[in-house]
Amino acid sequence: MTPPRASAAMDRTYRRMLWPASLAVGIFAIAPLLGMLALSFTDFHLVRGWSGKIGIHNFLRLFEDRRFVSSIYIMMALSAFGVLAQVVLGTAIAVGLDKIVGKWRVARGIFVVPFAVPHVAVALIWLSLFTPTLSPINAVFAVFGIEVPALLTTQTGAITAIVIADTWATYPFVMLIVLAALQGISPDLDEAAALDGATRVKAFFRITLPLLYPTLLMVALFRFIETLKHFPLIFVMTSGGPGRATQATNYYAYVQTFQNSNVAYGASIAVFLFLFAAAISFYIAKANARLSDA
Amino acid sequence: MRDTSTAFRVKKALGYAMMLAFLGFSLLPVVWVLLLSLRPATALFEPIWESPTAWTLDNIRSIARSDFPAALLNSFITAGSSTLLALLVGVPGAFALSKRRASNKFFASWLLLLLRMAPPVGFVIPLFLVYVRAGLIDTYAGLIFAYTSLTLPFVVWSMWTSFNQIPDELVEAGLMDGASLGRVLWRIVIPAARPGLVAAGVLSFLLAWNDFFFSLIITRSDTTTAPVAVMNFVSYASVDWGAIAVASIALTLPVVPIIVLANKYIVQSLGGAVKG
Repeated sequence: MTPPRASAAMDRTYRRMLWPASLAVGIFAIAPLLGMLALSFTDFHLVRGWSGKIGIHNFLRLFEDRRFVSSIYIMMALSAFGVLAQVVLGTAIAVGLDKIVGKWRVARGIFVVPFAVPHVAVALIWLSLFTPTLSPINAVFAVFGIEVPALLTTQTGAITAIVIADTWATYPFVMLIVLAALQGISPDLDEAAALDGATRVKAFFRITLPLLYPTLLMVALFRFIETLKHFPLIFVMTSGGPGRATQATNYYAYVQTFQNSNVAYGASIAVFLFLFAAAISFYIAKANARLSDA
Repeated sequence: MRDTSTAFRVKKALGYAMMLAFLGFSLLPVVWVLLLSLRPATALFEPIWESPTAWTLDNIRSIARSDFPAALLNSFITAGSSTLLALLVGVPGAFALSKRRASNKFFASWLLLLLRMAPPVGFVIPLFLVYVRAGLIDTYAGLIFAYTSLTLPFVVWSMWTSFNQIPDELVEAGLMDGASLGRVLWRIVIPAARPGLVAAGVLSFLLAWNDFFFSLIITRSDTTTAPVAVMNFVSYASVDWGAIAVASIALTLPVVPIIVLANKYIVQSLGGAVKG
């Protein structure tokens, strides 16, 4: 045990180490967020400025705004289908790679490649693949006389296209983490199940999957948060279109703020998204605290 | 006892076929971009098998002549500076958070996670208004500060989890030998936490390198980063697909060796971040 005087001096040193980080987080991160909150109660407009009005009018307007309400549905569709596809695919590939070793080791490296591609490049690659006149997919199907429909011209199609592009780029993230978790699960468990006469599939659903559940839940939450923030994919692939069909909430906040100059209204949409993130991060932090206590 | 029945073999073959299909899903778009980058504009809109000999380096030349290399440099400067700043300030802070006996750690962990998850549109609106007044629009400093709002919470959060895995006894042993806390951090704890440090640095760099939104809003032309500069090849009149393909590759290439080299550390760190 360290004597009390030494520990008081140490505590001072710890605080000295802490304050630059606290100050920087305060200036760079917390101050802008407080600014966002403050703006959301005004009627600040990029051109007209602020009339002095303060109140909750922006928040009242939110729920009468059809475009806002539909932006939530679009966001939810992008997130739900995206996270589902990424988690299922990432887990399936991880399970496949976990059992296979040797020369398939290289496969793991190849699967990770799309994860390295920056989001804008992901969006442009898939935009090219979904442009019928350019796409090799259309060219190949045309040989067999099949005309591939232009995905980006309908709402369902455009949402599907964004989900595909997002899944391509991010399921390796899920795969890497599930693979790491799988390698922490003892193979004895599988063997024990096999001795009990369980089929591989049964053993997977009865034993492996329940053990993976905490990892999968955390990965899904992380991906969910990221999908709420979709921006480059929408901006590059659809510009929110066709019409307003892919204006998810985050993108709608951008449109209101920087295209329509409604800064205060845009800020109130950002506050709404922020509350979402606050609730989910609170849940994750609680789960983490429980884990480190145990 | 290995199962060698036909049913088992069929199942195994199906498994391999599925893996191959997804390998194709992951790899073919990359192959496609490589091909696209080498195709002349005249042959772009016909299938490759109709003009199998039409290849060109013109796309690469036109990218080299454009503003894109300067934008890549801007990306390196801003992402690198922001990562250095975040490490410099964040690592001692994370060490203190991990090893100091304090009771309000839950709040700090929630706050850091929240900042990491908060939508960038929320940060960017007030930043934009302040930057317009302060003359920080289209400056390196402005962009580096904005990126630090992404990289700093990330670095503190992930180094905190790394330092938690370093036993307290290691710190105490160093202090017993008469070293100061700063010396213990620099000489003992940081070397022991190197995998975590590499991962935190790499991922924080990528966080800024991948950014599109901040750069779109707060840069104009001088400090435009590469992800936004790519969009110069997209206009209402025409889309220069060859140039876009080359630019996408140029944007990805610096990341690939980083991901490959730091793969192991990143998995450990991501696993730690997800599991806590």
